[in-house]
Amino acid sequence: MGLLNRNHDQRQGARAVHITRWRRFKMFWVNNLQQAIGSLGDLSRTPWSSLMTIAVLGLSLTLPSTLYVVVKNSQAVSAEWDTAAEISLFLRKDLQTQELQGFRERVRLLEQVESVTFVDRDSALREFRETSGFGSAIDYLQTNPLPDVLIVVPTPEYRGVERARALLQQLEQEREVTSATLDLQWLERLQALVRVVENSFAGLGLLLCIAVVLIVGNTIRLAILNRRDEIMIMKLVGATDGYIQRPFLYTGFWYGVVGGIIAWIATSLLVWWISASVVRLAALYDSSFRLTGLNFQDMMVVWAIAIGLGLLGSWIAVRRHVAAIEPR
Amino acid sequence: MIRFEQVSKAYPGGFQALRKVSFELPPGELAFLTGHSGAGKSTLLRLVALMERPSAGRVLINGHDLNKITRRQIPYLRRDIGMIFQDHRLLMDKTVFDNVALPLYIEGFTQSEAKKRVQAALDKVGLTGHERKFPIMLSGGEQQRVGIARAIVNKPPLLLADEPTGNLDPKLSLEIMRLFESFHQVGVSVLIATHDLALVARMHHRNLVLKNGEMIDDGLEAGGFDPLAEEYL
Repeated sequence: MGLLNRNHDQRQGARAVHITRWRRFKMFWVNNLQQAIGSLGDLSRTPWSSLMTIAVLGLSLTLPSTLYVVVKNSQAVSAEWDTAAEISLFLRKDLQTQELQGFRERVRLLEQVESVTFVDRDSALREFRETSGFGSAIDYLQTNPLPDVLIVVPTPEYRGVERARALLQQLEQEREVTSATLDLQWLERLQALVRVVENSFAGLGLLLCIAVVLIVGNTIRLAILNRRDEIMIMKLVGATDGYIQRPFLYTGFWYGVVGGIIAWIATSLLVWWISASVVRLAALYDSSFRLTGLNFQDMMVVWAIAIGLGLLGSWIAVRRHVAAIEPR
Repeated sequence: MIRFEQVSKAYPGGFQALRKVSFELPPGELAFLTGHSGAGKSTLLRLVALMERPSAGRVLINGHDLNKITRRQIPYLRRDIGMIFQDHRLLMDKTVFDNVALPLYIEGFTQSEAKKRVQAALDKVGLTGHERKFPIMLSGGEQQRVGIARAIVNKPPLLLADEPTGNLDPKLSLEIMRLFESFHQVGVSVLIATHDLALVARMHHRNLVLKNGEMIDDGLEAGGFDPLAEEYL
């Protein structure tokens, strides 16, 4: 069915091809499948140049995905260290035993608090004498200068920097407390550091993704220009831009499919490579920490990104160049 | 079938390829388009196939004003026009079968469905049995006939040929022209641009003559034009 034949009776022999809408729909998908397989065939016919582009795509994605693995693991580590957050409450020295016990109970029953440990001033002094090395010098003291200390461990939800600090302020207001400390600075520094690393990795990953799109786009552009005459002929016999574009889009799609698999393999190798040194480092910190690689979900995401980038690159190329080729 | 109304075409740089050309080609007619090189024959055909847009005036095909055809509609328009070129424009890395079947594939035929039509088209141009060959294995005349088979395979109501016999010897040229005549006899409108005036004179069909972008004869007045007269050469 063409434009010229609508509502027009043709003489015998010059009848327009008639194809129903359903057929057209069905053939659209059949065509898609044929073109998908066809462009896969084209790839296998030019294995080297295809492989180069695919390898660039795969290896470019390897870096961001490895960085992702590193960030993911460092988050796990810093989450582990979060649990060390505890609040020390220094109590007034003039409190009665009863008051002390009441306060201790009150704090223990707070919903933000998981557990409390009471360190009385005498045992604190004893411990100090043993571990500080001042030993006999302490014996010259007339009175015990240390206060009683209540060590408060917040529940997991209150171990974050912000919430722990709020809890600290709340406890500081208590009548029995002279001062309270929360050793959070190192945690904040660590988290800030992790964030710096995360952000710079994200920026780096974004740049690499843009590079992938440009490289795929350029390869597809060359493929289009190589087939300039063919495209012209197809346009002359009535092919739509969409029909001409599809094989190139599928080429980009296959680049992504294979490039994604290369990224998996390369990332796994890289993680395996660095995990040995990470285990050694962890051993030095008395930790049994192990590097976890990409899980299934991560792999699917890497694959989807690879395919998306391949498609995006080829889409940009076909948009610009297929329409620009006009038959002469 | 084709109607030109005061059509002018100027190319960027000021070259005036066509000047106020008007003519009408009724459905089912076969006509020649002659003139010296650069007279505007190709430009005229290119306007019909929407490879160019006119600078002024209107081109109508089957009552459709081509100025109103959008870019997206062009492919569908071209499916109704069979075009034949001097340089064949075949896909050299595809078989004869696939070359001829290309318009059908684009329409949404599968290979097996296209088979009957391709065979019929090849039969028509006398190339039965060459389906599996590649264009490079054929002679110039045979390649031209593959191009013609491709143009007629989806039975378009209009055929345009730009110098279809340009590279062929007189005997082959006549064969090709007889082929066009046979399409004309089954109701297809045919417009052939050529400078082979001897051949045109033998065929006794309408002849449109262009000179420097102007149509100096639309071939309708009997005896008004002698293709071999000195002034036209």
